Amino acid sequence: MASSSSSGLTFKLHPLVIVNISDHYTRVKSQMNPPPLTSTSATVNGVEPLQQAPRVYGCVIGVQRGRTVEIFNSFELLYDPSTHSLDRPFLEKKQELYKKVFPHFYILGWYSTGSDAQESDMHIHKALMDINESPLYVLLNPTINPAQKDLPVTIYESELHVIDGIPQLIFVRSSYTIETVEAERISVDHVAHLKPSDGGSAATQLAAHLTGIHSAIKMLNSRIRVLHHYLVGMQKGDVPCENSLLRQVSSLLRRLPAIESEKFQDDFLMEYNDTLLITYLAMFTNCSSTMNELVDKFNTAYDRHSRRGGRTAFI
Amino acid sequence: MEGLVTQIQGLSGTASDVLSLQNLLKQADDSLHAESTRLPPFLDQLDPSKHSLGYLYFLEACTAGPVTREQASSFVLTIARFISSCVAEQIRLAPDKFISVCKRFKDQVLLLEEPLRGVAPMLTAIRKLQLSSEHLTALHPEFLLLCLLSKCYKTALSILEEDIFEVDQPRDLFLYCYYGGMISIGQKQFRKALELLHNVVTAPMSTVNAIAVEAFKKYILVSLIHHGQFPTNLPKYASSGAQRNLKTLCQPYVELASSYSNGKIADLEMYVEANKDKFESDNNLGLVKQAVSSMYKRNIQRLTQTYLTLSLQDIANRVQLNSPKEAEMHVLQMIKDGEIYATINQKDGMVRFLEDPEQYKTCEMIERIDSSIQRLMTVSKKLNVMDELMSCDPLYLAKAGRERQRFDFDDFDNVPQRYNI
Repeated sequence: MASSSSSGLTFKLHPLVIVNISDHYTRVKSQMNPPPLTSTSATVNGVEPLQQAPRVYGCVIGVQRGRTVEIFNSFELLYDPSTHSLDRPFLEKKQELYKKVFPHFYILGWYSTGSDAQESDMHIHKALMDINESPLYVLLNPTINPAQKDLPVTIYESELHVIDGIPQLIFVRSSYTIETVEAERISVDHVAHLKPSDGGSAATQLAAHLTGIHSAIKMLNSRIRVLHHYLVGMQKGDVPCENSLLRQVSSLLRRLPAIESEKFQDDFLMEYNDTLLITYLAMFTNCSSTMNELVDKFNTAYDRHSRRGGRTAFI
Repeated sequence: MEGLVTQIQGLSGTASDVLSLQNLLKQADDSLHAESTRLPPFLDQLDPSKHSLGYLYFLEACTAGPVTREQASSFVLTIARFISSCVAEQIRLAPDKFISVCKRFKDQVLLLEEPLRGVAPMLTAIRKLQLSSEHLTALHPEFLLLCLLSKCYKTALSILEEDIFEVDQPRDLFLYCYYGGMISIGQKQFRKALELLHNVVTAPMSTVNAIAVEAFKKYILVSLIHHGQFPTNLPKYASSGAQRNLKTLCQPYVELASSYSNGKIADLEMYVEANKDKFESDNNLGLVKQAVSSMYKRNIQRLTQTYLTLSLQDIANRVQLNSPKEAEMHVLQMIKDGEIYATINQKDGMVRFLEDPEQYKTCEMIERIDSSIQRLMTVSKKLNVMDELMSCDPLYLAKAGRERQRFDFDDFDNVPQRYNI
């Protein structure tokens, strides 16, 4: 059902949309009664716990300028299972409201969650075709796949293809890029790091900051390792030599180091040494406090003539 | 006896066989001891590298009785060969036998007055007996004693470099640190000597023992040489027995330290002359003389804190040296040892005192600090483990719990918290 699109449109997706969809899905899923935890009872009943993966629906809105389609925002819609279509009056009401605030935004399409596009989705798609001649279908895959590096979001367009002699509308996959405005970046960053709302004490802030840096460096390290592995394979001949990739790698390498002067080296090493010394000092303090406690305990336990009387009476 | 020999030869193959062999040998131990004079020829039938455990039992029984000088030299050879070729896993099954054999080896070597012969075999023995390099065995102090007597300090230093975390017997630790301190003094590594002697003095001891007293005397002297001062109170982690009694037992040394802190060389020398025989009887006279000569260094260092430049004549006057030439020699020596930073201008005889030129911007410094941090992390982990062990110790819980009953329920404050940064 999905091949690559030939419409030649470029799609730009804002992260707000992704956050909205995932938020909608999470809310709906957590508001439902959680099914019993034991999987054995589910199979005994013979009923597959369908409720575990609810499908949520909504509309995406944005701007189309020439061949570029930019999806800015989204809102939720109710799905009416009887008519197999989205709630139309509500959609129109919402559309009016949004038009007042964002006069430039049009309804570009709709979204849903799931692992792949299904046949019934075409129905909804066709229903929306009177608002927009070629609506988009944004699909979010809510199952978490730790091996996957990309976002689980796909954008489908509809195209008229001739299959078995019958012209049919089918979904075709399109590529997209993520576009961010500065304000969006800050809020997405905030959500991603789950910072404590009150800012916490200095220790938790420092820990959060360092954790962020640590995970960034870890990711950088793993990506570089992948590249290295690939290059080694290319050198050994296991992998066919790809010159464009080699050019990219070489241009990346030429961008570092950014500064190479002696004064920079001196300052850099001095600051590095200062940080190391501070860490050393902190570790020392920690160690001495542990040692202090240990000695106190030891003296209490084993010294025959230890000081009696401990603490004064509490008034 | 022959039956035992064949059993040893047969059962020294796999680990389970060796365990059953060990049981057999334990039962046969008394009979071995009873026939100790007949045993030496049987030793030749056994191969120390394959039948280490059996050989060990036989050897231990052989050397149990009193040994004459002629026997001693042959035994020394046999034991040395055994130590170098035995299998570590087998002898670890009978550590006390091994230790007693090695101790007798040491006695025999001393009897022959050739401590140098015992140094290398004893080092191999330690390596084979140790479970890890952090483990202190009873052989460590014997080894250090042999090194001291034979004056080969460098081999001892390699053993002293290792950090110790597990100790079998407290007496081993005392002796080890004391001998180690003496060896470090011999090599002029005063910082290491101070550390080792400090360990002896502050080790937990329910009653003061002689080793700690001797160590304390040396500790005072080395502390004067290295630091130029002696802290009058022992740290709080020293046992209370040590804190109260050590100073009274080493009275002349404490007074030496207090007259040192006055800074007058003449007084110090007078005091040393007066108590010379006391110092000599403790074999500490050499160390005392070194302490006196370190006084000059201390005074010159004190000058660096007051003056930026000074003439050699002034230095000689202030430090009570006889001539500017001597002052120049002292200053040169200190610059070479890295104890002060200065330049001597020979034309007008002026000395300029400089700051520490370390800028902390080299990669070597980074590596040094990094390795120190790594070491500190391992120490910290071990400390945490020990702290938890101690918190669960019933003795500690009994005493800590006893103090709390007098208080109200509101005043509840449990085991002290860590520092919350």
